[in-house]
Amino acid sequence: MRRLLAPLAAGALALWFSLQPSNAQESPLPRPSDSPVADFERDVKPFIATYCLKCHVGDKAKGGLAFDKIESEADVRKYRQLAERVRAVLDSGTMPPEDPQPDDRERTAVLNWIEQRVLKVDCSAGIDPGRVTLRRLNKSEYNNTIRDLLLVDFKPADDFPSDDVGYGFDNIGDVLTLPPLLLEKYLAAAEKISETAVLAPDAEPKPIATEKGRTLASVSKTSLEFTAPAAGEYRLRARAWAMQAGDELAKMEILLDDKTIETISVEASGGQGANHDVTVKLEAGKHSFAAKFINDYYKPDDPNPNNRDRNLVVEQMQAFGPLNVLPENLPASHRALVTCRPETPDQLVSCCQKILKPFVSRAWRRPVTDEELSRLISLVEQSVAAGDSFERGLQLALQVVLVSPEFLFRLEPDSQASDSPSVRTINDWELATRLSYFLWSSLPDQELFDLAAAGTLRQGDNLSQQVRRMLKDPRSSALVENFAGQWLNLRLLKTINPDKQRFPGFDDRLRSDMEQETRLFFESVMREDRNIYDLLDSTDTFLNERLAKHYQVPDISGEEFRRVTLPNNQRGGLLGHASILTVTSNPTRTSPVKRGKWVLENIFNAPPPPPPPNVPELKDTKDQQLTGSLRQRMEQHRSNPSCAVCHTQMDTLGFGLENYDAVGGWRDKDGEFAIDASGTLPGGSAFQGPAELRQILKSRRAEFRRCLTEKLLTYALGRGLEYYDECAVNQMVRSIEGNRDTFSAVVLEIVSSDPFQKRRAKRGDEP
Amino acid sequence: MSKSFEITRRTALRGLGTALALPILEGMLPSFSQAAPASAGSAPMRLAFFYVPNGVHMQDWTPSTEGTDYALPHILEPLSGLKSDFSILTGLTQSKANANGDGPGDHARALASFLTGCQAKKTHGADIRVGVSADQIAADQIGRFTRFPSLELGCDAGAQSGNCDSGYSCAYSSNIAWKSATQPLVKENNPKSVFERLFTNGRPGESAEARSRRERNQKSVLDFVRDDAQRLRTRLGVNDQRKLDEYLGAVREIELRIAAASKPIDLTAVSGKAIPAGIPGDYGEHIRLMGDLMVLAFQTDVTRVSTFVLANEGSNKSYAFIEVPEGHHDLSHHGNDAAKHEKIKKINRFHIEQFAYVLNKLKSIPEGDGSLLDRCQIVYGSGIGDGNAHNHDNLPVILAGRGAGSLTPGRHIRYENGTPLNNLYLSLLERMGVQAEHMGDSTGRLTNLA
Repeated sequence: MRRLLAPLAAGALALWFSLQPSNAQESPLPRPSDSPVADFERDVKPFIATYCLKCHVGDKAKGGLAFDKIESEADVRKYRQLAERVRAVLDSGTMPPEDPQPDDRERTAVLNWIEQRVLKVDCSAGIDPGRVTLRRLNKSEYNNTIRDLLLVDFKPADDFPSDDVGYGFDNIGDVLTLPPLLLEKYLAAAEKISETAVLAPDAEPKPIATEKGRTLASVSKTSLEFTAPAAGEYRLRARAWAMQAGDELAKMEILLDDKTIETISVEASGGQGANHDVTVKLEAGKHSFAAKFINDYYKPDDPNPNNRDRNLVVEQMQAFGPLNVLPENLPASHRALVTCRPETPDQLVSCCQKILKPFVSRAWRRPVTDEELSRLISLVEQSVAAGDSFERGLQLALQVVLVSPEFLFRLEPDSQASDSPSVRTINDWELATRLSYFLWSSLPDQELFDLAAAGTLRQGDNLSQQVRRMLKDPRSSALVENFAGQWLNLRLLKTINPDKQRFPGFDDRLRSDMEQETRLFFESVMREDRNIYDLLDSTDTFLNERLAKHYQVPDISGEEFRRVTLPNNQRGGLLGHASILTVTSNPTRTSPVKRGKWVLENIFNAPPPPPPPNVPELKDTKDQQLTGSLRQRMEQHRSNPSCAVCHTQMDTLGFGLENYDAVGGWRDKDGEFAIDASGTLPGGSAFQGPAELRQILKSRRAEFRRCLTEKLLTYALGRGLEYYDECAVNQMVRSIEGNRDTFSAVVLEIVSSDPFQKRRAKRGDEP
Repeated sequence: MSKSFEITRRTALRGLGTALALPILEGMLPSFSQAAPASAGSAPMRLAFFYVPNGVHMQDWTPSTEGTDYALPHILEPLSGLKSDFSILTGLTQSKANANGDGPGDHARALASFLTGCQAKKTHGADIRVGVSADQIAADQIGRFTRFPSLELGCDAGAQSGNCDSGYSCAYSSNIAWKSATQPLVKENNPKSVFERLFTNGRPGESAEARSRRERNQKSVLDFVRDDAQRLRTRLGVNDQRKLDEYLGAVREIELRIAAASKPIDLTAVSGKAIPAGIPGDYGEHIRLMGDLMVLAFQTDVTRVSTFVLANEGSNKSYAFIEVPEGHHDLSHHGNDAAKHEKIKKINRFHIEQFAYVLNKLKSIPEGDGSLLDRCQIVYGSGIGDGNAHNHDNLPVILAGRGAGSLTPGRHIRYENGTPLNNLYLSLLERMGVQAEHMGDSTGRLTNLA
């Protein structure tokens, strides 16, 4: 006797749709506040007695939950998480598991009571800023941080394992774990980074050309052709051994550009090659390096089988160089970092200080302490004492800095004073760091660090000026890549493989064009500080020739993307983007359910309740063949009322997008069936086709404003939003509306909000 | 005068910067023999788990009769040449994958509970928690005998965005191995990275001197940062400390590995093998390549424990290359449509073909007086029975290998439906010489395996 309907959830959804359009009063998340609230003594206590106490009673209560101990409303309020769980199981019909079952009125009354009396948040007590679990740099943050810290141009984190996702994003502290595999990668990356950023004079030069050698069984040679990138000294290396015979060692002539420059007796034998190096001065350009076997010996009749045949085995030929790098050829990272070089041993410490103090403070995003600095310097000293060059010692210090938890984690440690307040405002260094990782997915730049050092980041309108500057900076493309890419599920596009037979026009190039359109569009809203509702409806978009053809937009030629004014109302805003339409489709057909769910989750942050457990299989309909268009077949499916209650709403949104096929192409027919893209949303808004649906969605200003704010806040904080965040969000959406709903208004509200500016310092209530 | 000389082997090895290719020396075996006291013979026992998502079409998976004389059902036909090397275990159940009051989310729970036997805490992210997985129980106790305590393989990366399953963090539906109740071990999906990690303990063309300096430096780096982390720890709250403990645990593990690196490892099997170029475009090739690496890792004894997730749970991968262009997950909700059943069977059989490839490979490698497969215990299965019903009882489970003589494969064994899958793990762990008395809802060890 499971109850499959979820009246409250379905009701909330219906209510959400029936909320008044944009010009009405701003309202928080929909709550069934209109209905009269039940009374604990009158309604709830009898409910518990009738439906719960059969199992949840006494010392052996099911699930360890004894409801007979509940005496008052206050008792329930003490256990918020438990109340949330009770609400969920009541709502989904999981509880009570068997008869007697409450009727819908009783159930709704208790659910309302839980909502209104137990779970409703009291914002008058001030805002709880929450407590972010320390965040490890994720892959893109690591790449960007290294790029901006050391000016090296490679992406060491591309080889790291993928970061897990929570709350829809991959920058959530609680979910970012650090397995041994990742620390291995950090160690290897730190080695490579330090060696690339700082050039050590005693480094083994990298080979510029390598060739497999040959076994030379008679007088003959093997050679390596290579190009010297610049004039200078080069090292030529032949790794060789010999099968020895006769009374002399095998001899190898080294030839450079066909001239013999050295003759070497090869002592190695028995399969173990040894390196034979020659250092030469070369002009830039092509050269030939050869190894020649010159003293063949062959006596097949020799009584000693080991003395019959002399051969030279050249295993490998390599060229290295140029060996001496002139100062002006040092990499930019080296010149920026290595600002001094100790001429005498007593200059070592002061030079290290000069280099490391600013560097470590940037890498760790706070002033390095003297003690930390001296530990690092002693590492350089040890390295130099062991015979390494100064640069090698520096490389080692760099490695430590980059593998340290101070670099890998974004730390916001608590004050150690026992009388510290329960909420603290984070310091300017921490704030600069939160800002830069929010907007740039990277460390603060010098300007932010300078403000932090001066303690003036919050002074005057410094903060809003910085935010505006940062949004205009090219580094804010990280916000497009990482926030929009995840919020809109763009990153999933590369895992979607539309059926080639049905969609022959879809290929990897079109796939990346689709992504690019959405990226550029979001970027334009961000950089031009447009109105956030442009995301839902807009007369412009970004196309190249291929995507324009896909959209049947004429007169666009060439690979490069450009801003295009759309010629008709088939598209406009995110919901007309092929990227999003493809991500929400199955490989062979569209999925109105997925599209509807996507809209609810990502445009209104009102995800539909999950399907009830144990949905009955659709056996009933098995014998009667479903016929007609996809829409008609789905509607036949939904004749099952337990599905219809939620699906009517989800699917209606999806049906409104049926003019777009599974790769986002426009269509008027699906096979033989004409597309019916009309619908009526709960609350009575009717539409004909995607353009009208867009208008309706766009008019739900309050919901979209709140949705974008909540998604962006989750991303900015790196934690899921908790019930108490509602108070902060309420304040924020009010101000955003007052600031005309520009993109920067949303960002500015977030960075000046309590959850972003402060931190709960108390440790007590952590699990 | 003409002599053939195979230079490739040696140059390949040099190129990898490995230790020298030593011939197989019996004298090297003692370091193994102390590892697995429960196993007979000189070579160690290996343990591996293969996972496939979305359940299988059970009607064409479960043989109609029991014992040795059963007919191989359609999906399992690719294993026909190996019939005496594996058993089909019917009736096993992972009850912690059931909702048990947590509502929907069967896919996330299926993978999260498959090896842990624990109920996953329903959360989008804060405070993820399930339990230590069977492979990690083994790795914790016998991992110190090998360079890597365990190997986590997969073909999919973790999820890239979005919500994975009804309120469960994506960590649950993409990770099978859990080092602690709160720390999943991410899978490696790039064959190139796996190869380099396992077998190239250095850099191409690096001199011995440079390598030893790097190792010395790594030790100094780890010493230094361990001290930093310990000092830092005292200034953090509980959740932050947990993250730092992961860091410290990783530091310790790598320190042990560096210390153990001086022990000789016989890499003969690896010589001449080309380093994989990256992730192949062909899914079957990807699975086989990862399988090859697992086999190599076992053969060279760089690890004895491995997991391999063929696709993340709930995967909606298209199998167009076997004429199944629809998404796997969508298909698995087949509504008893016969055409969909056929397609699901194709997918199931495709996975089994790849599994057969790996088993054949293990079988082709002699070890002691038998094959490498004889010294393995390999579980293949899914945490969902039928994809449409989302049930977690009567799971599809294969147990391959002879467990060094402690298993008698070649049978279809039917257990009473509801028998805890965790009982199987306890039995396998016992054979590995690993102490484990309880896991999740285990009621003892599984009978009738010997």
